[in-house]
Amino acid sequence: MSRLRRIRAESVAAARSFLRRRTAVFFTFFFPVILVVIFGALVRTQPTDGGLFAEPAAYYIPGYLATVVLFTPLSRVGSEIARHRDDNRFEKLATTPLSRSEWLIAHTLVNVVIIGVASALILGLVLVLTDATVPVTPRLAMLVPFTVLGVILFCGFGAILGRLADSQDGVIAASNTIALPLLFLSDTFIRLDQLPGWFAPLVELSPLTYYARGVRAVTYEPALGDSFGVELAVLSVLALVFFVGGALAIPRTD
Amino acid sequence: MNEAVVASGITKRYGETQALDGVDLQVATGEVFGLIGPNGAGKTTLVRALTGTTPVDGDIRVQGVSPTDVRTDAIGLLPQSFSPPARLTARELIGYYGGLYDSARDTDALLADVGLADAADQWYETLSGGQQRRVCVAIALVNDPEILFLDEPTTGIDPAGRRSLWGLLESLAKSGTTIVLTSHSMAEVERLADRVGLLRAGQLIAVGTPETLIADHGGPSRLVCETPAAALAESALREAGFSVASGEDELVVDDVSPVDIGRAVDVLAANDIEYDSLTWTEPTLEDVYLRLTGETFAGADTPGASVVAGTSELPPAESIQ
Repeated sequence: MSRLRRIRAESVAAARSFLRRRTAVFFTFFFPVILVVIFGALVRTQPTDGGLFAEPAAYYIPGYLATVVLFTPLSRVGSEIARHRDDNRFEKLATTPLSRSEWLIAHTLVNVVIIGVASALILGLVLVLTDATVPVTPRLAMLVPFTVLGVILFCGFGAILGRLADSQDGVIAASNTIALPLLFLSDTFIRLDQLPGWFAPLVELSPLTYYARGVRAVTYEPALGDSFGVELAVLSVLALVFFVGGALAIPRTD
Repeated sequence: MNEAVVASGITKRYGETQALDGVDLQVATGEVFGLIGPNGAGKTTLVRALTGTTPVDGDIRVQGVSPTDVRTDAIGLLPQSFSPPARLTARELIGYYGGLYDSARDTDALLADVGLADAADQWYETLSGGQQRRVCVAIALVNDPEILFLDEPTTGIDPAGRRSLWGLLESLAKSGTTIVLTSHSMAEVERLADRVGLLRAGQLIAVGTPETLIADHGGPSRLVCETPAAALAESALREAGFSVASGEDELVVDDVSPVDIGRAVDVLAANDIEYDSLTWTEPTLEDVYLRLTGETFAGADTPGASVVAGTSELPPAESIQ
């Protein structure tokens, strides 16, 4: 009960802090929406033309969802750590019973909720603004664990970035620099066969690749026959590794 | 003596800077210990060392164990330059930090204790600087700690708020809470602390009760006389046996007891010497600070003035006494 009480206190405070920063709330949801509008509704490349966005609209659902699963935790957790450090909040928390892992669990929970809502919004927009369809099968329920694992993974990654960067500006710059290439080079918006052959192994190194493939296997009709077990397993292991790494990276002393 | 905090040989370097240099310190259970010293003397580093929030060389025991092993519900900390989440209200902040402990003090009672009952539902960022600092003090008290570390608790608080917090800290001390506080306010330390430690360049150069430190290091009491006839007054006072140093229109009489004030006034009156003001000062902790740290102050008011007489139309010496 004590642990739950601490996590609850931390996550309620984090959620209130986020929801009362209206600019942050607006852009957290506006950024993926603008991507969907630009790439899904305005850039209507015909499937037969080749090049970027040559696949049916539903193919890119993992990419659109990845914008929030990747960017939001990286920048939010990273900058939250920088803010905590600037305000000496970790020094204070170090003398309370709240552990580093509890802190990260609390902030991950808040991100799961925010990103869950944003993902639902994106999915709805894709269905409304494009001709994409998502087959409703029991597999679709796997979208939840894939999203949760993705958020855990990138919250851990964000915590590591927050530790390494020396300011909030540094966190934002670093998270953008890391997230942008990952977003486009993780089997999301660009198919593997559109990349140079030598680059393909690098795509396998991106954690986001397993999220994208897993989500595609449960939302994209032509991929419904694909297995997603490997993707789920790899994502689970990576989520655990990054969460532990992130928890250890959270500063407790100066 | 039952020691709440025992530190020996505490040393800490930040690169080329020696933040702490072999500090030995004991704080008894229930004692209020004040740490004073110039900026950069090592006060905050010492508080961090004692709370286990910075690694140091040396040995520290808090309630008999290492600072990182001490029961967290027994410790309260207000770090220097601490800011909690800005868009939570004072009430929410106390609830938040209280929620990190198994049991916490009643939020409304705590808000009342720090004088924030009327501002309880304002966001932290909309509170005045003094109110914000009071929220921070409340956060440090939320778990009703046995040992309280306060790093400059009253910075930015107005005089009335400061006195209100002093009263709160005094009541905590009376109830047995051990308090270690740093401050740049000598009045605060002199009022609150049972013992005072003076840090300079990472070394604890003096420790004792305020009275002992003042007696040992504060220097003599002084009578300062502002007069256009400084030379004449100096001569008259010297003849009466006073130790006098004079400036252009001011003279300073050292080692003047309260009884001697009247005698000095009588000497001036007997010689028809007019003066603009007479100010008698006792040595204070600030004098100790300035003497031991080697710092000087220019243009400041005379510290610790305990009797300020007006002009030569003063009542006779007997009534001043």
